[in-house]
Amino acid sequence: MRKTLKFDTEKQNLWRAIRGWQRHFCVMFFISFSILLSAQSVFPHTDGERTRYAATIEMQRGYLSGICILLREGDTIKGSLFNEFGISAIDFTYYINKDKVKLHSMLPMLDKWYMHRVLRHDLCELFHRLQEGETSYRNEHHKIDYQFIPLPNETDQ
Amino acid sequence: MKRFLLSLLTLFVMVLCTFAQNNGQAEIIRKINATATSMKTMQADFVQTKHVKMLGDKLVSRGRMYYQQADRLRWEYTTPYAYTFVLNGQRVLLRKGQRSDVMDTKQNKMFREIARLMMNTVTGQSLTSGKDFKVSIATSGSEWLATLTPQRKEMKQMFQRIMLHFSKTTSMISIIELTERNGDRTVIQLKNVQKNKAINAKNFEI
Repeated sequence: MRKTLKFDTEKQNLWRAIRGWQRHFCVMFFISFSILLSAQSVFPHTDGERTRYAATIEMQRGYLSGICILLREGDTIKGSLFNEFGISAIDFTYYINKDKVKLHSMLPMLDKWYMHRVLRHDLCELFHRLQEGETSYRNEHHKIDYQFIPLPNETDQ
Repeated sequence: MKRFLLSLLTLFVMVLCTFAQNNGQAEIIRKINATATSMKTMQADFVQTKHVKMLGDKLVSRGRMYYQQADRLRWEYTTPYAYTFVLNGQRVLLRKGQRSDVMDTKQNKMFREIARLMMNTVTGQSLTSGKDFKVSIATSGSEWLATLTPQRKEMKQMFQRIMLHFSKTTSMISIIELTERNGDRTVIQLKNVQKNKAINAKNFEI
């Protein structure tokens, strides 16, 4: 009788431990999955993958808002930023291995030599952040804030 | 002598064709203007498709627009982002999420151009503003197709051309196509257009 009782208690303890591990595993799995998901959704990692963002670039004098589309092509990220009305602001390519940004075309108001340097630098920094799963970058020196919030895929079309 | 007469005849026919074409174009513009003048209000749903040449991609946005003669316009995007542009006289309101900005078109050159372009294309007045655009009109099926080539520096820097599609039956605009210098294209299609239906003044409040 005593043996049976002892066996039952051990069995219960074992079950409790298993349930505890199950809970722990579920929480860990959920956290890992969320991190993985968020990291994937803010930067195009695979060839041909596209990511769309609601983008805001805020400067001291004003701000530029719109949509940014990034397309992964091998070791490069091609990008286009345009305002809500569809007017293009910047077209660029980010070379991942060289960690460099090339600007192709820009809105006349942004197309100044001093803006080119700042934008090339800031877009590189922003891409580092996006690869780490962050969605914003602040250029402390020039006081420019960049925010790129991923747009949900199902509303794209 | 024969050759001379033939050349003269060809020249005469060409002049006549150009005259007829210009006359036809003037007649179409007159009809569009008459419709614009009689249009006190206009409201419609719109579908905007931005074609990004560099990426071979497109983004479709949808929303609703309201226009009230002479200088009131509300352009509101609902999907995939929320963004509202309200023009009331010389003032412009931009609303994105929690953020609202009010601007004076007199002080902001870029918004003055955007406001002018939006207002004039929606009503079709761009066709008569000779300083802004060189206009050519063609007939295609059930519509008139106006091609506008920018003449002003500010517009030239942004657009290669603007194409406006007008319905022959209503003389009203149905599609606006903007082609940019980098080859990108934005097509705005107006749907469920309602003319001269009362619009709540709150839509234009700034």
